[in-house]
Amino acid sequence: MKQNEQPEKATRRVRKVEDPKARHQRHEAMEALKMLDALRHDFSKPLSSMDYFYELFEKVYCRREKLHSAKPMVGTLCIQIPYEIIYAMDAVPVRLCNGFHTNEQSGGEFMPAKSCSLVKATLGMLKQEDIPGVDKLDYLVHPTTCDQKTKSISMVEEIGYDVYHMEFPRVKESEESREYWRRTIRKFTKDLSKDLGRKINRRSLKSAIQKVGKAQLAYHRLNELRKLKSVPILGKDIFLITNAFFFDDIERWTEMTLAVCSEAEARVKEGTSAAGKRSPRILYTGSPPIFPNLKLPYMIEQADGVIVADESCSANRLFNDMVSVDEWFMYDMVDAVADRYLKGCTCPIFTKNDDRKRRLKELIESYNVDGVVYQSFAGCQVYEMEQRSIQQQMEALGIPMLYVETDYSPGQGGQLSTRIEAFMESLKVKNRRKQEG
Amino acid sequence: MMINKIFQKIQKADIRKFRFWIQLFLFVIFVYGGYVAIDVGREIPVFSCGYDREAGGVCYFMSLQHQLARPWERLFSGASLGVLSAFGVFILWFIVFNKAWCGYACPLGTMQDWITALRKRLGIPYSTYSEESFKSLKKIKYIFLLIVLLFPLLIGAGLLDPEWRGAFCKMCPGRLITPMFVGDFSQWSIDFSSKTAIFLTTFGIAFTVVFFVGSFIKKRFFCFFCPMSAMHYIFSPFALLKLKKDGEKCTKCGDCYRVCDMQIWDIADDVKSRDILRDDCIFCLKCVAACPEEDALQVDIVKWAIFKSTKGGFAKRMGFEDETE
Ligand code: SF4
Ligand code: SF4
Ligand code: SF4
Ligand code: SF4
Ligand code: SF4
Repeated sequence: MKQNEQPEKATRRVRKVEDPKARHQRHEAMEALKMLDALRHDFSKPLSSMDYFYELFEKVYCRREKLHSAKPMVGTLCIQIPYEIIYAMDAVPVRLCNGFHTNEQSGGEFMPAKSCSLVKATLGMLKQEDIPGVDKLDYLVHPTTCDQKTKSISMVEEIGYDVYHMEFPRVKESEESREYWRRTIRKFTKDLSKDLGRKINRRSLKSAIQKVGKAQLAYHRLNELRKLKSVPILGKDIFLITNAFFFDDIERWTEMTLAVCSEAEARVKEGTSAAGKRSPRILYTGSPPIFPNLKLPYMIEQADGVIVADESCSANRLFNDMVSVDEWFMYDMVDAVADRYLKGCTCPIFTKNDDRKRRLKELIESYNVDGVVYQSFAGCQVYEMEQRSIQQQMEALGIPMLYVETDYSPGQGGQLSTRIEAFMESLKVKNRRKQEG
Repeated sequence: MMINKIFQKIQKADIRKFRFWIQLFLFVIFVYGGYVAIDVGREIPVFSCGYDREAGGVCYFMSLQHQLARPWERLFSGASLGVLSAFGVFILWFIVFNKAWCGYACPLGTMQDWITALRKRLGIPYSTYSEESFKSLKKIKYIFLLIVLLFPLLIGAGLLDPEWRGAFCKMCPGRLITPMFVGDFSQWSIDFSSKTAIFLTTFGIAFTVVFFVGSFIKKRFFCFFCPMSAMHYIFSPFALLKLKKDGEKCTKCGDCYRVCDMQIWDIADDVKSRDILRDDCIFCLKCVAACPEEDALQVDIVKWAIFKSTKGGFAKRMGFEDETE
């Protein structure tokens, strides 16, 4: 195991009583490394272009290196905060949604016992002032999406941060909500520019829209390969790639993702597959797997499944909908950016879940899915509540679904993996019967 | 193979440029065609105004209003075979191209697009209707259609004074604007011969002023009120060119809606209908070009798709694609 490099003096002090921050960082590094090792070494035929991403996570979480310099850092607490606007001011958005058990524990004090691991972990991280890849935050934006996120704003403020409250509608079909959200984004654009002292103009916004668009396209290109009969890339790698988007430099990220595309495409030509011939094709949906909480994708693929598609805000939803502009002027571009984030979103916080159902159906058909794994963080009301209707829809479609409630604790492991193995086995049996019958 | 390649090329086409040149070409034909003896008839299903003495083809409403105003004994006799055949020609023209007449051929429509281009050049934002005003204002075009169809019939039946002859033409901005392109400003006057004439011609002038102001701030302002558009809608289910949607592929992202000049809500939010052409639509295809989902929107001629929404085409038009690809 790699140790944190620390100066002589600090180590000596550690022996007496370890500085809580250093201790926290040590735990975090251990957690990160454990997951990275598992993802990297427990699967055969790794893609060499994935090395960049493995090393990136190691750099950020184990070696604590900083990625960006001299640019203002804007912390975001949801995918609803428009990247395009932040990039247009030459600032860097860093998504703070956190996946560490270490942080979940230290954030536990703020929240009731049965509440969302992600929200707890994010609070824990903010409490430790331990932002991945970044020295300090210049700005913090928090949307009013689900209840737990919304209420946690006041806790983040209690810790001592200035938080920008971004108002988000929870009905998305009406004209009012469209207009309301556009207004929110127009205001955010003005406020951010004023607070950071950075200008935004036609040209910078256009190039930011295109930068994000290119990143999205790279992801879409990768996803196309997952539709194929022999899938050249595993879902655990995809989640790692999309998680890197949270903090990586966007242009480098795009370049590296395209490198993965090329290698995976070459594999398709060779005819090598990342999964077995009979591996059940899985659609993952529900609460977002965020590094290092990738245990579910890990277990699924260790049990010989292959995640070919997902519907979650740490992957698919980040990249799915794209900005379309009619007139390349500020007045139209800002609204266009706003629309991208609201209208196509399949987040469970909205009143209706028809769009999510339609998205799942579409994914099942075009990615030729055998089974669905639905994860809900214990205490996430909205995902727990939607489970029922999704279950019914899957029954109607004849697609088996496994529903699991999880949190970030490693203790759950054994029981969870048994359930997943059994589910994969049942899918295989079903497939075999279908082939024979 | 070859056909496939061409098809792929079309999917990535810059629809704006394509449209601009077609519109310009047809504008010249319709407005200046007379100079070179072009005459495509008097049954054209768009506002190519007959008051333009050099028109290369004339708006069907001119002859329609004239023909319907015949005394009823004549209208409903064998002598009206001409009326029927004119109607047949109109239908034929329309059925082939559907509302694409509006998006690509109508001189009055093209003029509005030019005014929009001017506004854009000045960097002035456009405005839109609220949902409520949209719903109530859109009915106006059907009232105008009633004027076009019913008034002449009432005149023929002797129930309405002949002073109302060609009433809609007198009110129509096309009559005042189109002739100006051939240097004829004579339509800009008020006819004092009777109270009705004063009313109609004053209305015409006012409407024309509103036309200019309106289309400067609202894209395709006039089309929203156009009775020809209402008339089209009656026959569009039978047209060969179709605008289709596959709701299963649609994410309801609203990209199509936000570029739609006519603010057609259904284009994004209706995921049930297959035929997605609505009465206000001008068949400009901006929506198809702006949709990022493969095959969610498409244009068919009879059964064959000629233009579809594709991710690649979307990316190219938005400048997301690298030069290398
Ligand atoms: S997992 Fe549920 S509770 Fe947690 S942030 Fe997401 S929606 Fe909110
Ligand atoms: S005045 Fe209007 S309705 Fe009459 S012919 Fe001209 S364009 Fe057509
Ligand atoms: S709706 Fe517009 S484009 Fe169509 S005929 Fe009327 S004025 Fe012309
Ligand atoms: S742009 Fe395409 S995917 Fe988006 S709402 Fe319109 S039709 Fe649907
Ligand atoms: S629905 Fe499409 S074709 Fe019709 S007017 Fe709107 S953008 Fe144009």
